Amino acid sequence: MSTLASAVAAAVAGATMHEGFGPVTVDVPRERWRDGLAAAQTAGATFFDLLTAYDDAPAGLAVVVHLATPHLRDHLLVRTVVPDAIRELDTATGVYRGAAWHERETHEMFGIDFVGNARLDPLLLGADLGAAPLRKDFVLAARAARAWPGEKDPSDQGGRPRRRTVPPGVPTDWPEAGS
Amino acid sequence: MSAADPRASRARGVIALLEQNCTVCMLCVRECPDWCIEIDSHTVTLPADETHRRPRTEAVLDRFAIDFGLCMYCGICVEVCPFDALHWSPVAEYAATSSAGLVHERDRLSSWEPTVPAPPALDLHAAVDDPGPRRATGRS
Repeated sequence: MSTLASAVAAAVAGATMHEGFGPVTVDVPRERWRDGLAAAQTAGATFFDLLTAYDDAPAGLAVVVHLATPHLRDHLLVRTVVPDAIRELDTATGVYRGAAWHERETHEMFGIDFVGNARLDPLLLGADLGAAPLRKDFVLAARAARAWPGEKDPSDQGGRPRRRTVPPGVPTDWPEAGS
Repeated sequence: MSAADPRASRARGVIALLEQNCTVCMLCVRECPDWCIEIDSHTVTLPADETHRRPRTEAVLDRFAIDFGLCMYCGICVEVCPFDALHWSPVAEYAATSSAGLVHERDRLSSWEPTVPAPPALDLHAAVDDPGPRRATGRS
């Protein structure tokens, strides 16, 4: 078990550890996000690798930071969950300055506001898009604008198809082309 | 490809279609994550003959198109094709000046077939009853 992760979990109230396939993940409550990062830095994880998020519906958006000690002797993931209704999280830039760029990307793709980071301008998308493309509720325009070519049934002689085929990976509640 | 060509024969340049092998099963269309393959077909009824006691229907390919503007070269279509109608060709000189030019219809896809390299030889100690990858020449 990672001593780094144990130190962070012991320093932050309400933190839990999960080993998984490694590295060890320390889950911290959303209110103690900054404390968790500061504890990791104090414990020796001075190398900030990345900050990113994933849509962990219905719990919310999980934000993950990968941190390591210099010379990469030990590393850990610090994670917290931002509920959909809130979409706000303290910025990590007060602890790790390099997180600024990652928070900008994560804000653009997931719509999380990092409180205290004033420079969350979009990197790739137009400012007027008003949507977060990596959230699971974001409907891909390319999947809604065009009919699925696999819908055709070669054995269909104009009657009702024997079995309706649906495109794999496309949620059934997305609008269909032409609707 | 010439001997000086640095590309490996396994390079993913363009997808070639061996039309005779296609049975219009639609597997490639349905598995394609990019929706870049389109197939149109119709069915014909073949009369009974000495090998088939009853009339049967057979799907006939009308259109087979791959949009290389959408294709991400994953090769899933080549993998799923149960009749080896699709093959990778290392040829990559098919740039176009418009996105419509990247949609290759069946004649263009078939024209890549002669550029498909022969499958690699079997391993030295491979089981002798393994026929290896098939390159069928089509139904006659």
